[in-house]
Amino acid sequence: MDVQNLVGLVPWTFIAQICNLFIQMYLIKRFLFKPINNILEKRKAAADAEIQEATKAKEEAQAMKTEYEQNMLEAKTKANDILTNAQKTATVQSEEILREASAQAASIKAKAESDIAQEKRKEVNEIKDEIGSMAVEIAGKVIEREVSEEDHAKLIDEFIASVGESA
Amino acid sequence: MEVDISGARVFFTMHTNIPILGDLQISETIVVSWLVMILITGLCIWLTHDLKVENISKRQAVAEMLVETANKFVIGNMGETFRYLIPFVAALFSTSLISNLISLVGLRSPTADLSTEAAWAVVVFVMITWQKIKTGGIGGYLKGFTQPIPVLTPFNILSEIATPISMACRHFGNILSGIVINSLIYAALAVASAALLGLIPGLVGDVLAQIPILDVGIPAILSVYFDWFTGVMQAYIFCMLTTLYIANAAEG
Repeated sequence: MDVQNLVGLVPWTFIAQICNLFIQMYLIKRFLFKPINNILEKRKAAADAEIQEATKAKEEAQAMKTEYEQNMLEAKTKANDILTNAQKTATVQSEEILREASAQAASIKAKAESDIAQEKRKEVNEIKDEIGSMAVEIAGKVIEREVSEEDHAKLIDEFIASVGESA
Repeated sequence: MEVDISGARVFFTMHTNIPILGDLQISETIVVSWLVMILITGLCIWLTHDLKVENISKRQAVAEMLVETANKFVIGNMGETFRYLIPFVAALFSTSLISNLISLVGLRSPTADLSTEAAWAVVVFVMITWQKIKTGGIGGYLKGFTQPIPVLTPFNILSEIATPISMACRHFGNILSGIVINSLIYAALAVASAALLGLIPGLVGDVLAQIPILDVGIPAILSVYFDWFTGVMQAYIFCMLTTLYIANAAEG
């Protein structure tokens, strides 16, 4: 079998090796770089999408938080308003109720007093009459004589006056 | 004991009689080169089948690491504008590396043939020159030879031509020297073991002396330097010089 020189340039080998190098370049590009770069690109896209999603979610959460805080603040203000109003109303109402009550009490008292006074007067009159007739009877029986109408009235008055004083 | 270190064997010759090119010879270099290409391409296909975006396999991680390393190497040395050269440099490196290391399985390295390195160096040289012309125009390129003073023109031309020759010869020389030294070591160890076992008297010694027992193991240790280290180093240096020369040419 022939052998080539240990050190030397063989034109055909030279050309073949140039072709081989470029074929190898194409093969590596096609079978290593293309699929790997593809997958790296895809991964990058996926990661980017994820980050974007996360950012969006964060923004949404922030918006929701702001809204929630706003609502809370509004609710608090409203509650405070309601409480203040209720307190005011309650104060006003209680004052009114107190005033009405005292007025009612006063009127009831006045009426009771007038009733009592009237009753007293009526009683006094009744007693006066009864005692008058009783006195006339007792007197008639005691003295067994007819007392003049004039004396009679005078006697009754005197008696009543003394009863009234002692009563 | 005869030690024969020859060039690539020729498997097939076609008498084309084309001037300069000579006869078409399918040599060991070319056949092993094809084997190397099949190996590299097969490795690429094996590494990149069944790729996933998430939850990747170790195989895919290795493939991605290789691609990232190639990207970092080229972009780090040459800048983002030379992204298109990544597959070229990767092809250069992988072909050189596998060609250098294929001698470990007993085949003849394609890189132990000067034609291979000369082919690569000429391709790189053409790229350097093209880059120079692209950067400074034809005029700028030619004017560059007269810098800094016109007297230096012959030396500038010489240094320009020396670039591909030095690249080719550096790589070739390292690989060839590895082969030569390995052959010498095998032969020397065979002689040594024959002498050693020949000391055993009688027929036993004569038979045992035929077996080069020292050739087992010892050359493997030396091959760590002459095959592994040199092989990886030269592939790296060749690609490093390629990227640096082209990047320099682009700077003008």
